[in-house]
Amino acid sequence: MIAAFLRHSLFLIAATVVGLLITVLGASADERECPVPERFYEFEPLVTKTVKAFAGRREVVIAVLGGASTMGVAAGGLEFAWPARLASALAERFPSKRIKVINLAVGRQTAKRAVERLEHDVLPLKPTLVIWETGTMEAVRGTDVDEFRQTMQTGIDKLRAAGADVLLMNMQFSRASDAVIHFEPYLAAMRQLADINDVPLFRRHAIMRHWAESGALDLRAGEGEKGRELAASLYDCIGRAMADLATRGIPAAKRANPAGGDR
Amino acid sequence: MERDLRLDFFRGVALFCIFLDHLPNNILAEFTFQSVMFADAAEVFILISGYTAGMVYGRAMERQGFVAAGIRVYHRLWQLYVAHIFLFMIFLGMVAYTQGALNKSLYAEEFGATNFLSEPGLAVVQALMLQFQPAFMDILPLYIVLLAVLPLVLAGFRSWPGVVSLVSFALWLTVQLDNRVALAAYPGPDRVWYLNPFAWQALFLLGAWFGWRNIHGGVSWLGHRWLFWLAAALSLAGFLIRVNWTLHGFYDPIPVLVNAKLLWPFLSKTDLGFLRLVNVLAVALLVASLIRIQARFLASPAAWPFLICGRNSLYIFCLGILLSVLGHLVLNEFFGGVAMQLAVSVAGVVIMIAVAALLEWFVAAQGTPGGGAVGAPTATKGVRG
Repeated sequence: MIAAFLRHSLFLIAATVVGLLITVLGASADERECPVPERFYEFEPLVTKTVKAFAGRREVVIAVLGGASTMGVAAGGLEFAWPARLASALAERFPSKRIKVINLAVGRQTAKRAVERLEHDVLPLKPTLVIWETGTMEAVRGTDVDEFRQTMQTGIDKLRAAGADVLLMNMQFSRASDAVIHFEPYLAAMRQLADINDVPLFRRHAIMRHWAESGALDLRAGEGEKGRELAASLYDCIGRAMADLATRGIPAAKRANPAGGDR
Repeated sequence: MERDLRLDFFRGVALFCIFLDHLPNNILAEFTFQSVMFADAAEVFILISGYTAGMVYGRAMERQGFVAAGIRVYHRLWQLYVAHIFLFMIFLGMVAYTQGALNKSLYAEEFGATNFLSEPGLAVVQALMLQFQPAFMDILPLYIVLLAVLPLVLAGFRSWPGVVSLVSFALWLTVQLDNRVALAAYPGPDRVWYLNPFAWQALFLLGAWFGWRNIHGGVSWLGHRWLFWLAAALSLAGFLIRVNWTLHGFYDPIPVLVNAKLLWPFLSKTDLGFLRLVNVLAVALLVASLIRIQARFLASPAAWPFLICGRNSLYIFCLGILLSVLGHLVLNEFFGGVAMQLAVSVAGVVIMIAVAALLEWFVAAQGTPGGGAVGAPTATKGVRG
């Protein structure tokens, strides 16, 4: 029984190695840009109030909560951060519309701290839409998942009670961190929260993974100028993808650029 | 007494599930325990381990006395501790390997807070004290702590079973009411043990109690008709709700039957929430009633890989953790979609089976007396708890 079994095992291992080689050789896709396949948005609910606001006359105010990756530190500052890129993508698509994107991100901010800030820093802005990037600090620090979920639920409830649309964004993807930081429970918690509260989720972790896999971006680019360039193009990609997600449901006729930028 | 092959079989299944669940974005993780019941492989593993430990060491206590049985438990505990330190070394290797990548500008600010090795001396000491439990290193510390109290618990079963059960249940209930009842973990300040021992002891001790009672003729009320139907109803309800969520996760337009938000307070994994505990017990009772102790399929070649892995659970568990760490590297380095996930999953499972087969062959070739009998008084066979 054991000999037969070992023969089968060897065969399977060989098959795996062959499969591996084929995948590695096949992975040289030649996409210049960073498109996001429809499957990442397909079932996300619309931000209805925001969609309406884009059709109306009043200014659209988008407030962004988040951490270092939303501050754009790696790219050299706020003007290269994805919220700024989102603002310019929206300006391109709705040239006649007044749109303000306010970046409230603070490095290493926990979800708990973000919720504490809502009252003073976020709600007075009367935002149409609040984009909330979070989860990294909790995963890095190993915060209790149930507590994280509860904190986020409180935050979502507060924002909605104040009349704002909510859109969630999860963690960055990195090849290395996944093996030493346990992201999965926190990713799952955010998926559940988005699903149950019927708010859209920007799946940054999965989307960045897709870009790395398709070869759209080489997330391994190193330090210094190269690293800065990578960060800038990554944040640009995220800003434009975010513009797609936040304006889903707006009739194409309303858009200056119906193709929607990079799609 | 014949070895209960069902224990080996389902522990083997749990070991495969733990490996598959730990691979990133793995399609096969949608087909493990966690997709069809509230509990997951961790509960199954701890329950079966408790049952086996209660049976094996309970019998040892009857035959050899408290001290000898205690030494056997602590011998096992020592093996687990060494395994824990071994996994920690692998983790350190991973950190060393990934450190450069984590310090790349894109992630430095966010992941810099990890600082796993900013105080290397402290991290090592904390790992030795089981307080440092990085990714995947959470089950073994729990198991070690549970084994540490097992001799006292077994002695308690003999003299005051009611008191032991009451204390165990009260402790679990306290955690449910106030989740600040937890063990602090390193690095602080908010971090706690991912699997709260004050809650999880309830499952382990319950398993141990059934295992211990089993050597004294079993628990008669477990055979009641109404209990069977209750377990069947609970398992079915859990199955329907959980499968509905799984399918909804696959394809969003499938409507959710029970809003998960209502059940969240009872589904905590860290604190072994009410539904997880009840669900795993119900399923265990159902399976134990439906599958006879020496069911024919357990002797079939198809069951053999599960049996040998379950029988060598400590080694295969550690190997599974090691393989899932390697699997992470492969899947995040080469990606390759579903085909690659399947390839890595199959390769990992095959390696686990192959190593278990080697261990079996080795033990057989050594000609250990009393092979196969649970509690045989030899170091190699006997200490498998």
